[in-house]
Amino acid sequence: MQLEFFSHLRCRECGRLYPKEAIHVCEWDFGPLEAVYDYEAIRRHISRDRIESRPPTMWRYREFLPLEGEPSVGTQVGFTPLVRADRLAKALGVREVYVKNDTVNYPTLSFKDRVVAVSLSRAREMGFPVVACASTGNLANSVAANAASVGLESYVLIPADLEASKVLGSLVYGSRVIGIRGPYDKVNRLCSEIAGKYRWAFVNVNLRPYYAEGSKTMGFEIVEQLGWRLPAHTVIPMASGSLLTKIAKSYREMIDTELVEKRPFAIHGAQASGCNPITDAFRKDTELVRPVSKPQTIAKSLAIGTPADGYYAIQTIRKSGGAAEDASDPEIVEGIRLLAETTGIFAETAGGVTVACARKLIDSGKIPKDESLVLCITGHGLKTAEVLSGVLDSPRVIDPSLREFDRLVSSDINRAPLPTRSEG
Amino acid sequence: MAREKQRLWLTFSEELCQRPIIWELGRSFELIFNIRSAQVTQETGIVAIELEGEREVLKQAIQWLEKEGVTVEPVELSTIEG
Repeated sequence: MQLEFFSHLRCRECGRLYPKEAIHVCEWDFGPLEAVYDYEAIRRHISRDRIESRPPTMWRYREFLPLEGEPSVGTQVGFTPLVRADRLAKALGVREVYVKNDTVNYPTLSFKDRVVAVSLSRAREMGFPVVACASTGNLANSVAANAASVGLESYVLIPADLEASKVLGSLVYGSRVIGIRGPYDKVNRLCSEIAGKYRWAFVNVNLRPYYAEGSKTMGFEIVEQLGWRLPAHTVIPMASGSLLTKIAKSYREMIDTELVEKRPFAIHGAQASGCNPITDAFRKDTELVRPVSKPQTIAKSLAIGTPADGYYAIQTIRKSGGAAEDASDPEIVEGIRLLAETTGIFAETAGGVTVACARKLIDSGKIPKDESLVLCITGHGLKTAEVLSGVLDSPRVIDPSLREFDRLVSSDINRAPLPTRSEG
Repeated sequence: MAREKQRLWLTFSEELCQRPIIWELGRSFELIFNIRSAQVTQETGIVAIELEGEREVLKQAIQWLEKEGVTVEPVELSTIEG
């Protein structure tokens, strides 16, 4: 059986081909490199039945991922629920909303497990002794956990002033966590120098072409879980812009390999107002993304001031007929609450951004009320629970007295009456 | 002295777009510069450049660019992720 459909890396700018090595930019124009596949061979090899017969993980779309052999890290990752959210749809004033719920992705409760599973599997194929990343949260946790699961040595670089709670989620796995003093851009530069000097697999630097492809599995799953149908609209949070471009790529790949019927799909991007370089460029009708030097938002996981894939994200949004929006901090918190109260899903701040931006896109008519809509929710709310402190009501406290409890319940005049046991 | 090469993205703001910054860089620092790609609009400019020289001179050149208001990023953009 043919296992390998991944043939080369290719520059997205000039189209030059490169061998499947640990490189990420074109030597000529510094354009990003991307995995290339033999789609004709994939089309002949794959079918809906074949995919459906496989275990429910992201690896059921194995042919579309840049590995040479079988995956060896994160073999249980993915196939998270796609939840039909009728109460959220009603609140947003649209007919049909689905939530792609990566808050329950395995093992670290964010979509990063997908990209890390691919990059660490590839790192092992290439014989790297050490894997590494620089991260302020989700990526660090995922690299540390997935590396630990197979006994790979890992280094996680963080800004030295990162909150202790965020560091714990990497330290617990036995990763070597290094704090670096100084502002973000200086830390960034040191990381790029380390990546150049040490023969390590930096998941989002020299392994970026492999890493980024893992995001496609979120899109494949959406299509399969919708009953092999493309959603008319997908709203995706943007940090570097990579997830958005890769979900669009996954939809195109499924069309090209005849797994799904071709129909228009609009891709919409969501950012926080305090760090919105991609949305800002979209609004100004340019493709040149101006850096945000000092991001100021509670959505830290999206706070990338110089988004590496910003240019491609804007192109993807425009070509698909989508739009970009941004949300303020209060709107993000409101988005988290709305999602939780209508679906039972507790998302981190990036999820609040997605919900808040979806609402704006609907209100402005960019997402019609009678077309299918998918919201990509990428990480669990417990990771950023601190943003809700002081926002939610405190619990009401009573003495251990049934009379006091009765009085409290009867005072809840604004709420619908709860059924008592005899009624239930 | 150790020589090295650095690959950088330079982003220019509207105010800097008409200033010959790369020429000034070449006059002020003993560096070889090699522009790989560039896009300039009235609002912003982005240049992919390779700089080669002594490590200390490279460092000073980057500091000078930043002081003049140019955003300097290694081609490994957004190394730090959430």
